[in-house]
Amino acid sequence: MAMFITKRLLMALATVLVVAVLAFLLVHAMPGSPGAVSLGAGASQDAIDQLNQTLGWNDPLLVQFFRWLGDAAQGNFGNSLIDGRSITTDLANRLPVTASLAAGATILSAVFGIVLGVTAAVRGGLLDQLIGGFVGLLVALPAFWIGVIFVYLFAVQSSVFPATGYVPFDVSPQDWAMSLALPVITLAVGGAAFIARQTRASMLEALQQEHIRTLRATATPTWKILYVHALRYASLPIVAGIALQFIGLFGGSVIAEQLFAMPGLGQAVQTSVSTHDAPAVQGVVVIATVVVVAVNLVLELATKFLDPKLRAS
Amino acid sequence: MIPTLPATTLSTQRKSALTKLSGHRLLASPAGLAGTVWLAAMIIASLTAPWWMPFKTEDQDFTAVLSGPTAAHWLGTDELGRDILSRIFASAAETLGTSFITVMVGVGLGTLMALAAANSQRAEGVISRVTEIMMSLPGTVIILAVIGAVGTNIPLIMGILGVLISAGIYRVMLGQAKSLQNQLYVDAAKVDGLNPLAISVRHVLPGLSTTIVVQSALIFAVGLLIQAGLAFIGFGPPLPQPSWGGMIQSASQHVYDAPWLMVPTGVVLALTVLSANAIGNALGKAPNATASHLPSAAIRRKRATQAAAAAAAAPIVQNPPVAGQLSVRGLSVGVDGGTPLVTDVSFDVEPGTVLGLVGESGCGKTMTALSLMGLLPSGVAVTGGQILWNGKNLAAATDKDMEAVRGRDIALISQEPMRALDPMFTVGYQLTSAIRRLRSFGRAAARAEALDLLEKVGIVDAPRILKTYPHQISGGMAQRVAIALALSGKPRLLVADEPTTALDVTVQAEILSLLRSLVKDTGMSVVMVTHDLGVVADICDQVAVMYAGQVVENGATDSILDDPRHPYTLALLAADPHANSAHDMPERLATIKGQVPQPKDWPSGCRFAARCQFAGSACEVPVPLLPSGSGEGRVRCVKADELAMEGLAWVATDVPVVNPVPAEVPARHRLDIIEKDMA
Repeated sequence: MAMFITKRLLMALATVLVVAVLAFLLVHAMPGSPGAVSLGAGASQDAIDQLNQTLGWNDPLLVQFFRWLGDAAQGNFGNSLIDGRSITTDLANRLPVTASLAAGATILSAVFGIVLGVTAAVRGGLLDQLIGGFVGLLVALPAFWIGVIFVYLFAVQSSVFPATGYVPFDVSPQDWAMSLALPVITLAVGGAAFIARQTRASMLEALQQEHIRTLRATATPTWKILYVHALRYASLPIVAGIALQFIGLFGGSVIAEQLFAMPGLGQAVQTSVSTHDAPAVQGVVVIATVVVVAVNLVLELATKFLDPKLRAS
Repeated sequence: MIPTLPATTLSTQRKSALTKLSGHRLLASPAGLAGTVWLAAMIIASLTAPWWMPFKTEDQDFTAVLSGPTAAHWLGTDELGRDILSRIFASAAETLGTSFITVMVGVGLGTLMALAAANSQRAEGVISRVTEIMMSLPGTVIILAVIGAVGTNIPLIMGILGVLISAGIYRVMLGQAKSLQNQLYVDAAKVDGLNPLAISVRHVLPGLSTTIVVQSALIFAVGLLIQAGLAFIGFGPPLPQPSWGGMIQSASQHVYDAPWLMVPTGVVLALTVLSANAIGNALGKAPNATASHLPSAAIRRKRATQAAAAAAAAPIVQNPPVAGQLSVRGLSVGVDGGTPLVTDVSFDVEPGTVLGLVGESGCGKTMTALSLMGLLPSGVAVTGGQILWNGKNLAAATDKDMEAVRGRDIALISQEPMRALDPMFTVGYQLTSAIRRLRSFGRAAARAEALDLLEKVGIVDAPRILKTYPHQISGGMAQRVAIALALSGKPRLLVADEPTTALDVTVQAEILSLLRSLVKDTGMSVVMVTHDLGVVADICDQVAVMYAGQVVENGATDSILDDPRHPYTLALLAADPHANSAHDMPERLATIKGQVPQPKDWPSGCRFAARCQFAGSACEVPVPLLPSGSGEGRVRCVKADELAMEGLAWVATDVPVVNPVPAEVPARHRLDIIEKDMA
């Protein structure tokens, strides 16, 4: 097990490094030098060249990379080319927004997905078909479309929830929850559908295992076979599915943040990409990767812990 | 008659090709059919759009801004009075086409990686690592960073999305590609010197074709959604070119004053995604899913109704019930669709005796045995007859009633002990929870009883075994645990479904002697399903020989083994190396030509006739089970008396060999060959 964890940690580190290199190269392929981006249109070429010199843009690529990596490893992603803010501070403020969104959507989709999937597998018949059709529809509906419809229904028509905006938790926990409600539900719709499918398939596979027959042969009550033994067997692929879903939702929050005007990482990516703010793009890509890889690692270890074969070894 | 024969064969072939086409999974599923139709219509409509669009995409109709559907604008207009219908279809071709780029790149790269990984272990190690990294990346963020670098070059972006997605495709394909690569014919091709590339293309790739099509459909849908999402957040094709995501974005600005605008584009996008998914799901549906061991609630309800009806229809005919006696009368088991698997099977098991159900695979032995406990897999059910136990007809009992019988009265041992135990729980948990449930013991008493039971089945270090998981013990040990589990409710009847088949020969003997002593000590009876006549001779008191879902001969073990009356029994004995004692071992063991017929191919007459050395025209009518004259036994053969009178034996026919042993081969060599045949 220790061996396994070490290997996974090294893999995670490698993933982040690969992304760091990728982000660095991508950003250097962006049109326009940082000086030009920072000073905007109408700046003289001399001023641009001078700023580029100060920013180290003319140093060899490797030198620039290791300088950036060294700073990044210490948590310093530099300053925005647009408004000069510290990128690290900016991202630190934004991370909780996206984390709340992604975590909330993951939990919500896991709960609904597992309930739907288990119900479909266990009840069978017409209910299974109805759930299957419903889930199929949810998978096909784009999150941004659902989000707009939710805004129309719950914010415009009935104003149950605020249509846009984000209230930090320490300002008002209640408003925080209300401001998260619509974006979280919007993101969770597709996630729940995905997890429902995964759960249904895993449950059906579990029920095909021969040990289920042994349990029935020893008069194990049906509820216990389903919810203790089969669900336990199915839990491995379900948790793996939830881990994948978190990755998707973390990225998907770009859309929810845009739609609901949430000041999260997704919004930062979108604006920094539109404005060619190179260091900001680099920072947010690395931070997003670190978060996703870390959560993925934790969930993967959880999956392995659920498996007696791996736990024992 | 004869000249018409080829014609009929031809026409059936043609018909089967036709049914194959119409029964093609895609067209057989209504959703798949609808999806195909919609997608085809979309492609045609989008490609021909320039010729039929009622308006140009930029035509502005200021008399109808933000209008709903009207005669002029079927799907309404946007905030500039532009026709929605025209804009949807003007952008459709590019949307569908660029999504297809993702499919080509993603599925193509994924398949290539899977082929390479299946081909060499080293490649698999590297590719798996790389794809693992790819799958743990925040894809959307990376795509946005790429857009920052290259701009909104949609075809390029969709290609890069394909690269990111290929990791998932690789995961889906790897297992299948590896199993195809390990097929014997692939090994043979390798030995023949075919190069790895040719093997991949010729032998592995075709096997992946269904998965490739399924994944393509699903990825196409993903591509559509992501492309629309990017356009929605402003990274679509440059304005004023319309795009689905961009149109939904501008509609969302007017959700307050013109909510209708959300509908047309959203519905077209959703239906297109739905269609692609439906096609993928229809093609990917596993045709023969393994049956569930716990049927769904819907099926259980149906069964309960059937059971109640059966109970009402058939009153029990057994005279005074004998405790611990099992009487099976005219039992039939069939697939829900109607194919029979077991027909009209009758036997009795007296307390303290062992009945053997013998026959080749596919004769209905296991189905018969499982029906005794009401544990038939989903999709299979008792269709007639009675299973009488303690005066109750188990064939008409509800699942609830059966729960009182299972474990306490009748217990089960399965063929593969490793798969019969729950891999997620310890032996101790499985054993003690069964004891607590079946015997109403407390926690401590149950643990003591579990230790006791494990010792009874010959496990020496019982306390250690209690703490282990099933994967930590050997097959023989696991079968002992499974037997202990079966004994935990002190059953009166044990149903043993080939309990020794999956075990080593030495362990087989140990398990059999354990079962024999358990019968002696506890007085329980056993229904032993086996294809091994050695097991029968060893442990069974009575035997029922089954063939193609019927009992063809039954009686006391001694009389069946010494004086068999049915040609099938004769043949089984002649084919068994253990039943022939060493000194009169024939030079060549007998074989039974052909195979057990599939249930749908059962003839109305004798089902064994097609493989029988003695079959004649008399065998074409249904044959009843009649007293055989060998002890109390009964036999289902019209020629049984004739055969017995003439003392005929099943003769070992020459095996048709392609290269017959040349006559001049020395005797020693010949012996080797015979020994090989027997091995």
